[in-house]
Amino acid sequence: MSRHDIRILDITVLRGPNRWSYKPAIEALVDIGDLEEYPSNTLPGFVDRLVAWLPGLRAHECSYEAPGGFVKRLEEGTWTGHILEHVTLEIQTRIGHPVGFGRARSTATTGVYHVVVRIAQEDLTRACLLKARELILAAIHDEPFDLQGALSELRELADRKCLGPSTASIVEAARAARIPIAPLEHGNLVLFGLGVRQRRIWTAETDRTSAIAESIAQDKDLAKELLVRYGIPVPEGRIVRKVDTTWEAAEDLGLPVVIKPAEGSRGVAVSLALETYDEVAEAFRLAQTVQNAVIVERFIEGDEYRLLVVNNEVVAATGAIQFTVKGNGRDTLRTLVAHELDGTHADLWVADALIDHPTVKLALKRQAVHFNNVLTADQVVTLPCPAKVGKDVLASVHPDTLDLARLAVRIVGLDIAGVDIVAKDIGQPLVAQGGAIIEVNAGPSLPTHLRQPGDISNTVGSAVVRHLFPEGETGRIPVVGITGCSDTTSIAAMLGFLLHLHGQSVGVACGSGTFLGQRCIRRGDGANWTAGQRVLINRTINAAVLETSPASLLREGLPYDRCQIGVVTAISTPPALARFGITEAEQMAHLLRTQVDVVLSDGVAVLNADDPLVLAMAEYADGEVMLYSREGQTESLQQALAKGGRAVYLEGDALVFAHGETTHRHLLAPCVNASDCLPTATTAWALGIPFDLIIGAIVGYPAAMIDQASPHPG
Amino acid sequence: MQVDRVRALRGPNLWTRRTAIEAIVTCDDTERDLSQFSGFEERLRALYPRLQSLASPPEGSTNGFAQVLEVATLSLQCDIGCPVTFSRTAAAPDPGVYQVVVEYDQEDVGRSAIDIAERLINAAREGLPFDVEAEISRLREIYEDVRLGPSTGSIVSAALERGIPFYRLSEGSLIQFGWGSRQRRIQAAEMDRTSAIAQSIAQDKQLTKQLLAAAGVPVPEGQPVDDINDAWDIACALGLPVVVKPQDGNHGRGVTVNVETREQLEAGFRSAAEAGSRVIIERYIPGSDYRMLVIGDKLIAAARREPPLVTGDGVHTIQELVDEVNRDPRRGTGHATSLTRIPIDDIAMACLHNQNLTLDAVPALGQPVVLRNNANLSTGGTATDVTDQVHPDLAARAVTAAQMVGLEICGVDVVCQSVLRPLEDQSGGVVEVNAAPGLRMHLTPSYGTGRRVGEAIINEMFAADQDGRIPVIAVTGTNGKTTTVRLIAHLLEQQGLRVGLTTTDGVYAGGRQLDAGDCSGPRSGKTILMHPDVDAAVLETARGGILREGLAFDRCQVAVITNIGAGDHLGLNYITTVEDLAVLKRVIVQNVSPTGYAVLNADDPMCARLGSVCPGSVVFFSRDRANPLMVTHRAQGRPVVYLDDDAIVCVNQGEEVFRLALADIPLTMGGRVGFQIDNTMAAVAACWAVNVDTVALRAGLASFQSDVASTPGRFNLLDYRGATVIADYGHNPDAMKALVDAVTALPAKRRTVVISGAGDRRDEDIRDQTRILGTAFDTVLLYQDACQRGREDGEVLGLLREGLVGAERTREIEEIRGEFIAIDRALSTLAPGDLCLILIDQVQEALEHLNQRVAEANA
Repeated sequence: MSRHDIRILDITVLRGPNRWSYKPAIEALVDIGDLEEYPSNTLPGFVDRLVAWLPGLRAHECSYEAPGGFVKRLEEGTWTGHILEHVTLEIQTRIGHPVGFGRARSTATTGVYHVVVRIAQEDLTRACLLKARELILAAIHDEPFDLQGALSELRELADRKCLGPSTASIVEAARAARIPIAPLEHGNLVLFGLGVRQRRIWTAETDRTSAIAESIAQDKDLAKELLVRYGIPVPEGRIVRKVDTTWEAAEDLGLPVVIKPAEGSRGVAVSLALETYDEVAEAFRLAQTVQNAVIVERFIEGDEYRLLVVNNEVVAATGAIQFTVKGNGRDTLRTLVAHELDGTHADLWVADALIDHPTVKLALKRQAVHFNNVLTADQVVTLPCPAKVGKDVLASVHPDTLDLARLAVRIVGLDIAGVDIVAKDIGQPLVAQGGAIIEVNAGPSLPTHLRQPGDISNTVGSAVVRHLFPEGETGRIPVVGITGCSDTTSIAAMLGFLLHLHGQSVGVACGSGTFLGQRCIRRGDGANWTAGQRVLINRTINAAVLETSPASLLREGLPYDRCQIGVVTAISTPPALARFGITEAEQMAHLLRTQVDVVLSDGVAVLNADDPLVLAMAEYADGEVMLYSREGQTESLQQALAKGGRAVYLEGDALVFAHGETTHRHLLAPCVNASDCLPTATTAWALGIPFDLIIGAIVGYPAAMIDQASPHPG
Repeated sequence: MQVDRVRALRGPNLWTRRTAIEAIVTCDDTERDLSQFSGFEERLRALYPRLQSLASPPEGSTNGFAQVLEVATLSLQCDIGCPVTFSRTAAAPDPGVYQVVVEYDQEDVGRSAIDIAERLINAAREGLPFDVEAEISRLREIYEDVRLGPSTGSIVSAALERGIPFYRLSEGSLIQFGWGSRQRRIQAAEMDRTSAIAQSIAQDKQLTKQLLAAAGVPVPEGQPVDDINDAWDIACALGLPVVVKPQDGNHGRGVTVNVETREQLEAGFRSAAEAGSRVIIERYIPGSDYRMLVIGDKLIAAARREPPLVTGDGVHTIQELVDEVNRDPRRGTGHATSLTRIPIDDIAMACLHNQNLTLDAVPALGQPVVLRNNANLSTGGTATDVTDQVHPDLAARAVTAAQMVGLEICGVDVVCQSVLRPLEDQSGGVVEVNAAPGLRMHLTPSYGTGRRVGEAIINEMFAADQDGRIPVIAVTGTNGKTTTVRLIAHLLEQQGLRVGLTTTDGVYAGGRQLDAGDCSGPRSGKTILMHPDVDAAVLETARGGILREGLAFDRCQVAVITNIGAGDHLGLNYITTVEDLAVLKRVIVQNVSPTGYAVLNADDPMCARLGSVCPGSVVFFSRDRANPLMVTHRAQGRPVVYLDDDAIVCVNQGEEVFRLALADIPLTMGGRVGFQIDNTMAAVAACWAVNVDTVALRAGLASFQSDVASTPGRFNLLDYRGATVIADYGHNPDAMKALVDAVTALPAKRRTVVISGAGDRRDEDIRDQTRILGTAFDTVLLYQDACQRGREDGEVLGLLREGLVGAERTREIEEIRGEFIAIDRALSTLAPGDLCLILIDQVQEALEHLNQRVAEANA
């Protein structure tokens, strides 16, 4: 058998809604060569080997819409492009980033396919696709493939490229709430919402997280001093810098004590329940490895809890659970713990966090075992599972304690905070039982509260999103999306002018450049994804007009997920797109209908009724459809108006705004080319701009502006 | 001379509105007269020639060494630049004892100054040497250490100018402006709303540039690089010269500009890599460095910054030129002056080396030699104010840059040829934005006009009509304070305000008790004024706190003095007469805001007289509608509250504001309890003064009970097997009179009183208590409790008994040891229809005990 190959001719990253999907995707142009003649069922042993490596493929439904559907297709015979799609999806699932959408479509060229997979993260999905190719080739040729190696390599890439778990949980909740998210390529910063509605997070901090509050939280001594003033129980303590004074302070406060660095967080170099001079001295030295100033404070006996406060509400509380491991004479405690945790907590970092945790260390000290000890058979070790990996206890926290935690966070001044509490019984008020608030932490770890075994609801992420976008706030500003094969740039420029006159702070990206109000901030083609994104992340704008050229829509996708108004002007087949396989008007229409697909349900699709292919897009609109026509009241307009719809058309030299049976006629000055103004006027009406202003702007639109906005007049 | 006790009066006090040190000084007979010590003043002035003049006290008598201590303490502070002027020495009633009071700006400095002054005086007295200059320089160090830095200081002074109060929350630069729920915080030049994220963005130069570019702010193109080869390739692609800098970092660390050669690039790369995680190469923009300070949506100041440099004269070496520049007296070593000396350190040497120069080189006439490639003031750079020259477009870009990053206070670094033109016209750009920018270059630029930066920051935090204050009502008086405080708080709550209050039995905010015990001092007051959930504060302001520390606030909206009467606690802390006491209580009236009110009891002449010192208006209240003071006040159109038949009436500008029927005020028991009418009038007057509406007043008065829960130990009425038991904390003759009045108005078959005396009162005050009670009670149970406050066993009981000699009504007297036993004994004798007044001592415990007995009786 000759050597088969799969050649990846081109990879296009579609960063926004595109002809395949509402979501970002990568589109690979794949040449399967002679495999075109070898569907999967004709390759001996291929299907078995493939499914043996990736048993998850059995769950893929494919066109049968039932688990096993894809394997059935494999057995019946399917082509390599399709297999590449599914294997890429499966590999992404295996590394923990399922995306659930793929397509494989043949092209005009035999053996060349478009393989499309939704993006988890751009570089990651690309890497998965390439690995999928290797795996398939190995399966075809019955060659070995280091699947584990490949997966761990991809996992590592995912760790580097994807958002951390705290951020990811918020992003996920924002997505569920349909808040637009700017795809800023940055490890930590995420921008939600558009223009002036933009809000930001950086891991578990928001743009409302006060820098001063953060520094107060970090200065544990100052934080405690403030808390104590308001009657919040905190462990008494003091700052020391020398071993001798540390011991003196410890004796003053009363043994046992806790020693920790004065600044710092997450349990680093913290030692608990120190009783003797030697223990205190050792703990002091450990703490000084982090910082010269060290806190010695009274040790509070009890279990540790972590309360998460978001916008003055306690949204989650996790608390100590204990678990026991039993030795077997072979394994170290470390191994046993990792095994034990695996059942409930998938990730190893949990085990690491546990091993390093001061509470765990204390428990081990008291039981005189070490993590590296091999436990004898029948030796039983009980470990507290510290708050960071504990169970949900929110319902059982005493209401006074919830109030105290909220007050503590307000005093520090944070909007999101993790409050560490020690209590013997979390169901009882703190003070009476000698419990205390130990710390208030800025930028708390959200995964703490996400890792509830069996809990899939994202209450924490949702709480943060609700905090950023209270009920009724969508994070959206009006976005006008314009595409089509004629006049789009001039429409965009003119709409920008109109919105500017209407008092909006408008951003425009179109073929002649990028504009803020009347100021050009960047010359050159702006009818693309990058320019559109740049406008949308600008915090000063409250409306955007974004042109997307057919080429950009084909190669990049739209720069927004949804828009208020989608305008499609006309369909033609520019020769430039022929090399991407767009040669028929229907293909172009299929591409451009994306603009109509993304219109919000309370938005408007503005369509040119004089172009039948454009007119046909009306059926894809979720919201209202407004037609315009230079032919006067055509049949399609009449039908739409009869149903109470809105349309704009020309009647001699007059522009007619028609709503059902009501019409507003406006005679235009002879110097104005009325037909050029139609789509602009229609869109302006859709935006709710008064007729007088629309007409005034059209007449007054300076000739200079037209020159600037239309590099290719006519 | 002996300095016995040094106190810091941290707020307005008996002596002054300013903060002051108060010391109790005892001088022996010789020390009381300076003339007794020949040569003393000469020796003193020889040791400390700048000592201010020892003016004689106004009375003509001399205060001797105590006064020297006063003047020396003040002089020492003035010498190091503390803005202090007030000092006073007052002779105490005990001969040779003085109270020395000296204003301070910083407590630590004040305390140290008095310590130095004492040692100086001792040295002069003994004729010993004393190095006063060394002490002053140490004092100056303390001052520099504890005082606010110039940036924070400028913000604080701007706040004070607008009447916004402030507290320092830490030893550092964390400051609270305003009070309670209206408070705001700053730390150095950061506001509480400065977002932590915005700070992180500003730290990431690449991200910042990405965001700025999106907003149409010109930035130099550039990108991060991985290694030196990469850096050189990128540099060539961008076009030389370039700038090399770390991606994270600030204060110009690791930045090399105008890099033209690969060698320079390599050096720059290494220094950038040391200062930050990743290195950025970007296009070098020729021109000057400018710093634009944006606050809110305005450009507040702009400065051109120049690195430290010297200009050759063809004669002197670089070292000599630098020395010459550093001789400029404006150049200091710290952050306090408008210029700083140019340091010759490794960085300067490296910088010279890059120019192929050494310190010994003699640059040609007019040749500029740069000693460091950054323009920070703290390393010898200069700043020239150019605020008025900035082109509006350029200013707009700076503001956009700040907003895009999300900083309310932002230092925008711009490089361009001239600020007179837009950036776009000269290919200038924004190279960096800084959170927490230094303000010194704008406050006191090396050249040009200083800008009112602090004012701009305060204006950003507080709208023009806001001063961050919440209504503060201070309440003092001999009797009725706590009930009045509780009632005012209750009425304010009806208005929908979250009230914080301090009383002699605790601090409360948001319905929570923050602290227990006697919390009528300034510390508790500050706790309330710092609490984020407090919309209005009602502060019981007892004499002890005013004496110990002064007031918790600079001024209050309302000061209520319920009464002064014959006084209480006289004889303590040199407050020996009721006049002294009035002077002390006067402090809260003196510190009423000019727009505020003093609520004063017109029936108490001593109290009414305090109206004359009130900077605001006075509201008189009176139980007597014919009280001449009150009548005059009303006739003048001023606000009054008085008892008119069966109602409490408020009249202002001749118009009746409200009329509240006593029948609807359960606290007054239908008007039978006179002192509760006083308390109610004081409370409604105070609430009227802070605009509580009549609806809230009526609702609040109708729902307020004088029970154990709401006003523990204040005329709490209980029913015990059909007898009326009244528990009260009253312990002075005025309280007794009020209680007797109230009790007489209540029907009773037989009246019993249980009383102990607190040992810390004057003998006559203890005797007076029982003398008054003897007129109204059939049976008196005297008890003595554990705490005798410095009296011999049985001494107080004896005094109480003396007061009963010849009593009008009392027929039975019994002496008992122990409060609970006395209570139980009294209860055991009660029959239905009897009345028993129990004057409790250990409020909480006694009330618990009583409650338990009542519960048992009802069971």
